[in-house]
Amino acid sequence: MSEPIVAVDRITKRFAGHTAVDSLSLTVPPGVIYGLLGPNGAGKSTTIRMILNIYAPDSGTVRLFGEAGTGRDHSGRIGYLPEERGLYPKMRVLDVLLFLAELKGVDRRVARPKALDWLTRMGLSDWRMRKVNELSKGMQQKVQFISTILHEPDLLVMDEAFSGLDPVNSQVLKDTVLELRARGKTILFSTHIMEQAEKVCDHVCIIARGKKLVDGTLAEIKRTHGGKHVLVNFDGARGDADRVFADRRHVAKADVSGQFAELELATQGDAQEILKALVTSGARLSRFELAEPSLNKIFIDLVGPEAATPSARPDAEVARA
Amino acid sequence: MRKVLAVVRREFVERVRQRWFWVMAALAPVFFGALVIVPTLLMSKGGVKRIVLVDGTTSTFGVELTARLDRESLFIVVRIPASSGTTDSLMAAVDRKEIDGFLIVNDVAVDSGKVMYRASNVSSFVTIGTLEHVISEMVNARRLEREGVNPALVQKARIPLRLDSKKVSGGKETGESAGQSFALAYFMGIILYMAILLYGINVMSSVLEEKTTKIVEVLVSSVRPFQLLLGKVLGVGAVSIFQFLIWGVSTRLLLSQRAKLFGGGDGGGPFQMPHVNGSTAAIFIAYFLGGFLLYSAMFAAVGAMSSNEQEARQAQQPVVMLLVASFISMFAMLNDPGSGLSVTLSMIPFSAPIAMPVRWAAGNLPLSEVALSLGILTLAILGVTWVAARIYRVGILMTGKRPSLKELVRWVRAA
Repeated sequence: MSEPIVAVDRITKRFAGHTAVDSLSLTVPPGVIYGLLGPNGAGKSTTIRMILNIYAPDSGTVRLFGEAGTGRDHSGRIGYLPEERGLYPKMRVLDVLLFLAELKGVDRRVARPKALDWLTRMGLSDWRMRKVNELSKGMQQKVQFISTILHEPDLLVMDEAFSGLDPVNSQVLKDTVLELRARGKTILFSTHIMEQAEKVCDHVCIIARGKKLVDGTLAEIKRTHGGKHVLVNFDGARGDADRVFADRRHVAKADVSGQFAELELATQGDAQEILKALVTSGARLSRFELAEPSLNKIFIDLVGPEAATPSARPDAEVARA
Repeated sequence: MRKVLAVVRREFVERVRQRWFWVMAALAPVFFGALVIVPTLLMSKGGVKRIVLVDGTTSTFGVELTARLDRESLFIVVRIPASSGTTDSLMAAVDRKEIDGFLIVNDVAVDSGKVMYRASNVSSFVTIGTLEHVISEMVNARRLEREGVNPALVQKARIPLRLDSKKVSGGKETGESAGQSFALAYFMGIILYMAILLYGINVMSSVLEEKTTKIVEVLVSSVRPFQLLLGKVLGVGAVSIFQFLIWGVSTRLLLSQRAKLFGGGDGGGPFQMPHVNGSTAAIFIAYFLGGFLLYSAMFAAVGAMSSNEQEARQAQQPVVMLLVASFISMFAMLNDPGSGLSVTLSMIPFSAPIAMPVRWAAGNLPLSEVALSLGILTLAILGVTWVAARIYRVGILMTGKRPSLKELVRWVRAA
């Protein structure tokens, strides 16, 4: 395998009173979508900021593109979308894009046609001479996203990539990210919404309280951390499902949310017995499926329910899937 | 370096595009012009005053005073003897604007020095000043004569004083009067104070804008915080120089057209435009830039440690006070530019940007003093910028409550 794009070696960052990131190591191979996952306050943003050299780590090293130099030295090859979004409210859209491209070392004359191209693609070409604060929030998100990728970075870093995006922009972002990967770019993003990570990530690293819990490819993690799982969708009537789920001979753990349940089978558990019991208890089912555990399930098992996050409407997300 | 230039360019272009820049550019020459032209207009409009002298004396004092005042080109004087009812009828005459005012003199005037002047306008310095001057001169002569002094001697002693003051610079007369030097020092002080304050606060709000909009995080992932700060200060500085250029050129134009605009006059009038020569302009620019760099570094630190406008307004108070104190001390210095206080103030880097140009304009200064003061100022800029840049670097990424002094010290120490 070629040199990793990001190689983080035992970085630690302490802020007054607490350790935000504790001896964390991770490796992002080229051409993948890498998810940095963790509950709020796990140290995701701090890790990203250290990778970009916005903060210097107290100890440990960060190596980018297999070369020496800090994130700022390589900033021309990196696009960064921070968690807290913002642009100059009183600047014209096109001027903001050109200025930010200039900071990435791109000549204004080179950046201009590219910026116009992207604005057209995002349906914003009529807004290019308007001030940023005249745009809707969704449009501003698009402009900011353009500014992140206008200089054609090899590495795209997005903190809480999907937070605050409306469904349309969320889709635009996802499509663009997949397209960038297809062109060989590397994407590192953090999120606490597992369903999104599960859909796009090749690799993940789950952290909590500044420490790494697990990392690897999504398939690997599912293999090693899942048991046998059953996904159940009710179709209205649930009958006496709760009693069935409480039967520890078959079900080790049940994660129930409304019309959906994810069951981890007990070691000697038999899925057919559970199905039979559910049907006789009067439940109507639209789905009963033996499956790998969801990332969300693994995440909650690893992190512990007390650190689990209010994930974004899990039932709605899964129901669509 | 290209990145710094990009920041400079953005600061410059965005500021020059703003409406307030052009409002300032247009208003300032009008304001300065008014300072020059309005007094000229007021003085000339005063014209000749028609006054009546009500003579209640039994001696020749009234007659002599009338003749003496009449000789001043400022007055046309008619003498009438005092009688009951004159005051009322003269009041009415003033009211009808037949006369501008009237003087009442009687015998006790010589002893008490009390003379009454009633007029529609008693705020004209020239009119009142001349009246006071002439009358006191006459009264003095009268008193001396009464004590037996030879009238011829009194006449001789009454040499009118015309103090011809000219500033000496480089061993030569400069043709610049004390009034002009004072005016120049005064204007330079005001402009320096206003410009440093205005553009310093500009730097602060620029820092604050990037912090509150959160864009600063994107910026510092590409440029070092110091580069960002440098670009910002240079950009705002360039805007201020551009503003000065506009002011300079338009004021020049306005002045050259003054004679045409206000008809006649030798362009002199009672207010004479001070001569701004090359070295004075150089001193002005050098100290403006020094003061701007020093104060904008402090304002940038203030912006970085605040998280909203309100906090910044509070946190800027110490910095503003420092500047205001320097400005106020200017008035003490104008009285005596050579005093120990003045010299001290022109050496302290925080007051030097205003103090030194004021001293320079008011009186001639040895270059060694200027060099020393500039040297100290430069060192202070380096030191203050070093501290401010450290506060800036930590502050721009901080959110939440304003740091205490102890925390600030920790920010500066953290490498």
